[in-house]
Amino acid sequence: MKPFVLTLALAAAAIAADQATLERGQKEESRACIACHSLRLIHSQRLSRATWNKELDKMVGWGTKMTDRDALLEYLVANYGDDKPTPPPAMSKP
Amino acid sequence: MSPNRRELFAALLAVGAIRAARAADDPVAIPGKRPMILHNDRPEDLETPVRYFDSYLTPVDAFFVRQHLPRPAAIDRGKYRLTVNGMVSKPLELTLADLEKLPQHTLPAVIECTGNGRGFYSPKVPGIQWGRGAIGNAEWTGPRIADILKAAGASESAAFLETDGADTGVAATPDFVRSLPMKKALHPATLLALKMNGQPLPDIHGAPARLIVPGWDGTSSVKWVVRLSAAAQAHNGFFMNPGYRYPKFALPPGTPARPAELEVIEGMPVKSSITSPEDQAKLPLGAVTVRGFAWAGEEAIERVDVSTDGGSTWHAAELTGAKLPFAWRLWRFDWKPAEPGYYTILSRATDTAGRVQPIVSRWNPSGYLWNAIDRVGVTLERA
Repeated sequence: MKPFVLTLALAAAAIAADQATLERGQKEESRACIACHSLRLIHSQRLSRATWNKELDKMVGWGTKMTDRDALLEYLVANYGDDKPTPPPAMSKP
Repeated sequence: MSPNRRELFAALLAVGAIRAARAADDPVAIPGKRPMILHNDRPEDLETPVRYFDSYLTPVDAFFVRQHLPRPAAIDRGKYRLTVNGMVSKPLELTLADLEKLPQHTLPAVIECTGNGRGFYSPKVPGIQWGRGAIGNAEWTGPRIADILKAAGASESAAFLETDGADTGVAATPDFVRSLPMKKALHPATLLALKMNGQPLPDIHGAPARLIVPGWDGTSSVKWVVRLSAAAQAHNGFFMNPGYRYPKFALPPGTPARPAELEVIEGMPVKSSITSPEDQAKLPLGAVTVRGFAWAGEEAIERVDVSTDGGSTWHAAELTGAKLPFAWRLWRFDWKPAEPGYYTILSRATDTAGRVQPIVSRWNPSGYLWNAIDRVGVTLERA
C-alpha cells in the first residue's frame, strides 16, 4: 500500500472509531439519563469537557447507573460542547 | 470495507444519531400552558417568552415553571394534610378547610428563578439556560405562615422554618427541602398560598398549597407543601448546601466555587428587563415604544432609565403600578428615532434603597442572580 493510501485508511479508521464511540455515547445517554429528565435538558446546554465531566460525576452521585461513561462524555463534548452554537429556543406546542 | 466506504458508513451513522436526537427533542404540548420556551418537558422547566409580559399580573397559563423533581401525583384536595411539627407545643395536621378558615391575605409578588438569565453568563455554566423569562408577577392568596405557626405554638427559640414539598427525588436525587430564617417566615407577607390570580393554585404551580416568600429567590417558595417544621438549625440537604448558594467574594469567571465562602441567597437584586421590542427585531422606521418590567426583591423600584444609543445618553422611563416591595413595576419609553439603522437599547433600574443595576453581572459557578443592565439590538428600516 502506498503511504498516502495508508494514511487515508488510518484517518478513516480513526473517524470510524470516533463515530462508533459517539454512537455508544448516545445509546448510553438514552439508557442512563432518561429516568429523571428529558434529553432536552442536556441538548439545550453548551458546556466544556471539564464541566460535562463534573455533571456526569454529579449524576452518578445521584444514583445514575452508567456503563459507558467515557463514550457518553465524548458524545456530549462532540455534540453539546461550549464551542457549538447555542440552539434556538424550542417551544412547546399549543 | 474500503476507506471510502468506511467514511460513508461513518457519515450515515452520524446522520442516524442526529435523527435519533431529534426524535428525543420532538415538540410536546404542556396542558394548561400557552406555547412556552421548553427547556425540559419531564419534569417541566418552562420559560415565558417576553411577548407574553404585557400585563401587570402574569396570567397563570403564561407563568414560568421550574421543577427540580418529577411532579408528585395530584393531591386530592379532600385528603390533603399539612403537618406542622418540630419545636411546637401543639403539633398539627391541618386540612385545606382548616387553612381556609385562617385569615386570608392577598398580595402581588414576583417569583423569579434564582438562575433566571443564566444563559447570558460567559463562560457558560451548567443548569437550565434561562433567558429573560423565568420570572412572573402574580397575586397570591392564603393564610400567613405566622398564623399557622401561632396556632401550633411554635417556640420562640426556633430559628428556622423547614419546608418539605410532596415531590421526591428519583434514585438518589436529594429531596427538595428548604429552610427559611424564622424572621422571614414570620414576616406578614410570607404566605402559604392557596390561590394564584384569584383561582385555586393549579397542580403545576404547587396545588393545593405553596409557600410564597416575597422578595426572595424563587427556590424559597416551595410547592406542594406537606410539612412545616420549626427547627433550631437550617436543613443541610443539597438544595440548601451547596445548592442555591452564591460566592461571598467574587470569583474570576470560569473558576470553581470555594465551598466555605458560599452563602445562602436571600433577597433578590435590582433588575429591569426589556420585553419589547424583542432582541434582533426588525421594525419599520417610526415611533417605537420600549417596554419592560423591573423589580428589586424586598425593595421597590424607584426609577428605570433607557438608552437607545448604547449608553451614551439615558432617559427616564414612565413607570406604572404602585411603588411596592416584592412586586414588579411595568415601564415604557416612547422613542422617536429619526434615522434608520441598528440600535442598541439598554434599560437600567434603580431601587428605593439606592441599588443600581450593574453594567456587568457578577459571574458565579451556578449562574445565579443575573441582573446586568438589559440590552436588545433592533434594526429600523425605512419603509
